[in-house]
Amino acid sequence: MRSFFRLQWSGILVGIIAGGIALALSAPAFLSEFNLFVLLRSICVSLLVAYSQMVMLGVGQMNLSVGALGGLVAVVTGGLMDALGVPTLPAIMIGVAAGGAAGFVNGWLTVKTGINGFIVTLATASAFAGINLGITKAVPFYNLPADFVAFGNGRLGLFPLLLIVPLLVTVVLALFFSRAVPGRHMLAVGGNAPAAQLSGVSVPRAIISAHVLSGLLAAVAGILAVAQLGSAQPTIGSDWLVISFAAPIIGGASLAGGAISIVGTLLAVVLIGLIQNAMVLVKVDPYWVQFLLGALILAAVWFNRYRAVRVGES
Amino acid sequence: MQVTRMRGALAVGLALGVALSPLAAMASDNKIALVPGGPHPYFAPWEQAAADAQKDFGIASVEYKVPAEWKLELQTELFESLAAQGYAGFGYFPGDAVGVNSTVAELKANDIPAVALGGCAQDPTDTAFCMATDVYASAYLGTKALIEAMGGKGAVVHLAGLLVDPNTTLRVQAVEKAVAETNGAVTLLQTLGDTDNQEQGDQKINALLAAQKDQIGGMIATGYISSVVAATALKNLGDKKIKLIGIDDDKIVLDGIKDGFVAGTMAQNPYGQGYIGAYAVDLLAEGCTVKADAPFITTPQTAKFIDSGTLLISSANIESYKDDLKKLTGELQASFKDKFLSCS
Amino acid sequence: MDPAPRRTISSFLLRGSAQVGLFLILVVLWAVFANLAPGFLSKFNLNSLLRSVAVDIVVGFAQMVVLATGGMNLSVGAIGVCAVMFSGYLMQVLGLPIPVAIAGTLALGAFLGWLNGFAIVKTGVNSFVVTLASASLFSGGMLILTKAVPLNGLPPEFGAFGKSAVGPAFGSIPAIPSLAVVALAIGLGLYLLFKHSTLGRQILAVGANARAAEMSGIPVDRTIVFVHALSGALAAAAALMLTSRLAAAMPAVAGDDWLLPSFLAPVIGGTALSGGIVSVVGTILGALLVSTIRSGLLVLEIGNFWLPLFLGAFLLAAILIERGRAAYVAREQARRAL
Repeated sequence: MRSFFRLQWSGILVGIIAGGIALALSAPAFLSEFNLFVLLRSICVSLLVAYSQMVMLGVGQMNLSVGALGGLVAVVTGGLMDALGVPTLPAIMIGVAAGGAAGFVNGWLTVKTGINGFIVTLATASAFAGINLGITKAVPFYNLPADFVAFGNGRLGLFPLLLIVPLLVTVVLALFFSRAVPGRHMLAVGGNAPAAQLSGVSVPRAIISAHVLSGLLAAVAGILAVAQLGSAQPTIGSDWLVISFAAPIIGGASLAGGAISIVGTLLAVVLIGLIQNAMVLVKVDPYWVQFLLGALILAAVWFNRYRAVRVGES
Repeated sequence: MQVTRMRGALAVGLALGVALSPLAAMASDNKIALVPGGPHPYFAPWEQAAADAQKDFGIASVEYKVPAEWKLELQTELFESLAAQGYAGFGYFPGDAVGVNSTVAELKANDIPAVALGGCAQDPTDTAFCMATDVYASAYLGTKALIEAMGGKGAVVHLAGLLVDPNTTLRVQAVEKAVAETNGAVTLLQTLGDTDNQEQGDQKINALLAAQKDQIGGMIATGYISSVVAATALKNLGDKKIKLIGIDDDKIVLDGIKDGFVAGTMAQNPYGQGYIGAYAVDLLAEGCTVKADAPFITTPQTAKFIDSGTLLISSANIESYKDDLKKLTGELQASFKDKFLSCS
Repeated sequence: MDPAPRRTISSFLLRGSAQVGLFLILVVLWAVFANLAPGFLSKFNLNSLLRSVAVDIVVGFAQMVVLATGGMNLSVGAIGVCAVMFSGYLMQVLGLPIPVAIAGTLALGAFLGWLNGFAIVKTGVNSFVVTLASASLFSGGMLILTKAVPLNGLPPEFGAFGKSAVGPAFGSIPAIPSLAVVALAIGLGLYLLFKHSTLGRQILAVGANARAAEMSGIPVDRTIVFVHALSGALAAAAALMLTSRLAAAMPAVAGDDWLLPSFLAPVIGGTALSGGIVSVVGTILGALLVSTIRSGLLVLEIGNFWLPLFLGAFLLAAILIERGRAAYVAREQARRAL
C-alpha cells in the first residue's frame, strides 16, 4: 500500500476513483454506456494536446503555439478534403506532415536564433493563427468524407473509435522516452543541458526533435478534433493552452524540464474530464461551474501534495 | 500578394463607383467599414453585402474589416486606426455591448457616425441606432416555437452561450419567461452555459444527452455554435424525439432540418444588416440625422432599435427563406431613408 | 565601465543593453509607419495607441514582479476582472467617493494576490498550478456574485480621466494621455524598488537562487507572498485603468485576454522566465513594440484576415534584429579585448 502511495500519480488516481464512486452514487446516468462513451471521447483530443506540451516540458521548453498549430492543421486537412477533394488518408498525412514541419520551424528558429522558445512560439502562434484565418475567413469546411466523420463518432460499446489514436500514441511515447535514445536525450537535455552537452548529446538536435514531436502531436490532436466535430472549424485549438500545461504539470511534470510522467498526464486529463462531466451530470448552476472547477483542481493537487509530504517525497 | 490583390479589387471598385456615379443618385466619396466583433461565420455575408452596397449606392468604398480575435481591445484598435486612415463611418457588431461605447463616443466626437448591426450596444450609447434581431425577442420566440413543436408539454434545456456576455443573461431570462407562461406544462430542466465554443460545447451537450436524454423533450440553443453542436449531437445519436430549435442558418443546422433532426432555427438577416447598414452609415456621414420621431422599437438594450427581420426556418420554408429575407431587406431599404432619417 | 567613455553615437548604438536595441527598433518602426501611413501619427491614432499600451504595460508589470522570483501568476487576468467589477460596485452601487473606491480595489487585488502567495508557500505546490486553479476560482466567484451584469453608470469623472491628457498639445502632436502617465509613475516606483531598495534586491536574490537566498538570511516565504500581493495590486491597478478607459465595468474584459500579453512584454524586454533578472524599462519597450507593430499594420490596412501572420512575422523579425545587434556587439567587444 505504502509503495503505491509512493507513486507520484497515486493521489490523482485516488481522486478519480473517489470522484467516480461519488458520481455513480449521486447520478446513476454516470455509469450508462453512452455517458462513459461521451466521457472517453471528450478526453481524446485533450490527451494529445497535453502530450504535445509534455514533450516540450520534458526538454525544458514551452510551446505556446500548440493550439494555433493544431487549429492550422485542422483547417488545412479539412480544406484539402473539402475544397480540393483529396481523399481521407493522403489529406491526413499531409496534415500531420504540415504539423511536423511547423514544429520544425519552431525548433529551428529557437535553436538558430537563440531567442527564448517562449517568444518564438508566441510569435509563430500568431503567424499560424493568421494563416488559419486567411485560409478560412472564419468559415468552417463542412464537406468531409463520410468515413472520416463516421470514425469520429463511431464506437464499440463504450469505447469511442477515436480513442484508438491517443492510446497508440501513449504506448509509443512511453516506449520512446524509456527505450529510445533520442527520447532519453531529450530528457537529459531538459534535466541539465550543459551536462548533457558534455556527455555528447547534441542539445540543438534534441530541442528541434522535441519541437517536431510536439508539432506532430498537436497536428494529430487537430485532425482528431475535426473528426470529432464533423467539420473543420477555424476555432479548433483556441482554448488548448491552459489544459496543455495543466494536465502534464498536475500529472507531475516539472516546469524546469527533465521530468515528465506519461501516466500522470493521462490521469490528469481523465480527472479534468471527469470533473467537467460531473458538472453537467449533477446539474451545477452554470454560474458556479468555473468556480467549482478551480476548487476541485486545487483540492486534487493539494491532496497529492499532502500525500507526497507524508511519504517523505522531496 | 494579398495586398496587391486587394488593391486590384479596390481599384475595380473605385472604377465602378466612378463609372456609376453619374447614374447613382447618392454617390458619395465616403470610405465606410463594416466591422464585426471578431472572426465568426455569422458575418461572412457582410463581405458580399459590403461589395453590393458600394456598387448599388455609389459609395466610394465599403470594406469588410475583421478584428483578428474576438477581443474588445482589438476591435477598439481597429476602429481607431481606421478612423485615423480617414474612414467616414462604421457599421459594427458590438463585441461587447457595453465596452464598445467609450470608443463610439470618441468616434462621434470626431464626427464619425456608427451604427450597431446584428447586435446592439447597451444604452446609454452614442451609436446612432441598432439594426438587429432583438436578442430577447428571438430567444423568446424560439422557445415559443419549441414549446409548440413539443406539443405544449415536456421538459426543455437551454443551451446558452458565453456567460460573460450580457446578452446571454437576456436570453436566459427570455427562455425562463416563455417557459413560465405555460403554467407548469413545460419545465426548464437545465441551463447549460458556455456552449458557444466547438470543443467545450461538444463535450457539454453530449454529457447532457448522456445524463438525461430520456427526460428531455426539447432543446433551445441560443448561440450560433451551440446550435451547430447540438444539431450534430442529435444527428450522431440518431434521436428525433428531442426537438431542437437553433439560431442562425449554419449549413449543419439547415442539413439537420432537412434530415428531420432539427425542428427549426431562428434565422437572422446578416446580409440585410450589412447592406442596409452600409447605406445608412453613408447617409449619416453625408450629414443626415436620425429623426427624433422615427418609429424605433424599445428593447431591454436600447431605445433605438430597428428590427432587421427574423423568421423561423423549418422544413416548410427551408428552400424559400433566403428569398423571404431578401424581400424583407428590399422593403426595409426602400422606406428606410424616409422613415428614420432626415436629410437636408 | 571605461574610466573615460568616448560618447560617440556609434558606440552608444553598439554598446547598450537589449533595451537600447529595442528602443532603436521602435524608432525605426515609428519612422517607417509614419512615412508609409499618414494616419499613423494622427492625434487619434497616437492617443489610442498610448492609452492601450498604458494598460498593457501595467499588466506586464503584474507578471514581471512574480517572474522576478522565478514564479508565475496565471491569475493576473482573473484578479483583473474581479477588480474591474469590484471598482464598479464600489462606485456605482455603494456610491463611494472615487479615491476610496480606488483604494478599496487596490486592496482587493493585493488581498487576492496574497491568497495566491499564501497558498503557494503553505502547500508547497508550485505557483503555476496554484494560480491556474485560483484564476478559475476568482473569475468563477466573480460570475456567481455579479451574474455577469455590467455596470455602466460609473461617475462621469472616472471615465473622463481615462480620456484626459496631461500637458499641452503641439499641432498634431497630442498631449500625453493621463493613463500613460500613471503607467510611467508605476514603472518609476518599480524601478526604485528593484534598483534601490533592500526588498527589491531580496526579491531578485530569491529568483536567482532560492536556496542560497534562504541561507543568507532572506525570508524567502515572506518575499514570495509579498510579490504575489504586489502582483495582485498591480493587476488591480491595470483593471482600474481599463475601467476608466472604458467608462464601464464589465465581466468580459481582462480574464484570459491578459494571459499572453502579461508574459510577452516583460519577456521581450529582457526579464528572465527563470527568475532573478527584471527590466522595468524593457517591459515598457516590449509592450510598446507589440502595440506599435499591431497599430502600424492596422493603419497600413495590411492583410485583414491575414493580420496575425504579419504580426507574428514582424515580431520575430524585430527580436531577431535585436539579437543580431547584441551578437555583433559581443563580437566587437571580444575583438577589442584581444
